[in-house]
Amino acid sequence: MAIDGAKIVHAIMEGSRVRDAKGIIPLFGVYLSLFFVQYYNRLSFSFEKKMGAGKQKEAVRRLIRAAQECGYATFQGIRNSREWEDLIMPMLDSREDQISGFSAIALAFGWGDMEIRELLPGEKLLIRVRDSYEATGYLDLHGTADSPKCYMLRGVVAAFMDLLYGGEYPHGLYTFTADESLCRAKGDSYCEFIAKKRV
Amino acid sequence: MVTQIDWRNELERDGNRVILSGMPITMHCHHYNINLQKTLEETLGDEGVSLIYQASEEASFVGFKSFLEKYGQIKTIKSKLEFAASIYQNCGLGLLHFGLMGPLGGQVVSPSSHHVTGWLAKHGKRDTPGCHFARGWIAGVLEVIFDRPYGYFTIEERKCKLMREEECVFRAKV
Repeated sequence: MAIDGAKIVHAIMEGSRVRDAKGIIPLFGVYLSLFFVQYYNRLSFSFEKKMGAGKQKEAVRRLIRAAQECGYATFQGIRNSREWEDLIMPMLDSREDQISGFSAIALAFGWGDMEIRELLPGEKLLIRVRDSYEATGYLDLHGTADSPKCYMLRGVVAAFMDLLYGGEYPHGLYTFTADESLCRAKGDSYCEFIAKKRV
Repeated sequence: MVTQIDWRNELERDGNRVILSGMPITMHCHHYNINLQKTLEETLGDEGVSLIYQASEEASFVGFKSFLEKYGQIKTIKSKLEFAASIYQNCGLGLLHFGLMGPLGGQVVSPSSHHVTGWLAKHGKRDTPGCHFARGWIAGVLEVIFDRPYGYFTIEERKCKLMREEECVFRAKV
């Protein structure tokens, strides 16, 4: 059965309207929050700038690691949730279909349209995103970039592969690493991410 | 008096984007929010804390201004404070109780929050106050409510649940 992305998006939008008495949104096994993308973009790019040119790579590495650990824990929680079992499991024909489910949820979260272009099980995942909020945010805040800027998505794409092919949770984290070969913030038409096994 | 947001109309999709009151938002879980906070605190110390505060203040300043422009019927200080608290709650950020507030400041109490719940789930208690996001968020909305410029208020966290207190207590001052 094909993944019904629209159904997942609808479920997330409905579910995100449910708040418990403490103002917390427990959904898909995690606590969700809704906030303006401006916050996340300002935070990431100010951090990178504050670290300075000499430590720019270190800043990027830390942001990607933060996102990869998040993606790993978040989607592990999601795929063990009741919502996943009820809504998404029936749509999955193969283990690899989980990545389509993850991507549909990422789209529903407003992270961007993660289109799976190539998946070699255990080896490589290539994802294209036309509407990354990080690329848009960088362009709005700073203009055209000289390096890729979608650190959150880069970590998350690697985390997808960690979850499927990294071995038993939680030991698979950082088994894979992802590069952003094309980025809209640099002037490319879309962002493209390639996850491969860490050497 | 309307002090609640109409979520059916305000939370919507525009293609791939999620829109709240006309502005793009994203949904993130506690793993990402807490990882970002820990990364900035560990790497830059107080400067990292300031970045979190400022980013939150800026976004809530712009966002809340947009909300109030759409909800022009909300006019009094009291109803604007209630409106701000309802947005905070509905965004899954937690509960805020504004005490007696004026243009010189006041007190805000938070019995629960996304960041406290998330930090405790991932790292447990800590020895320093940790609600930098909430401080910035409060500063931004108070500046809009009292028609003051961005950066006008300073928010201190006097008590923090992450330090074994029963609730977080914030003091707004000029």
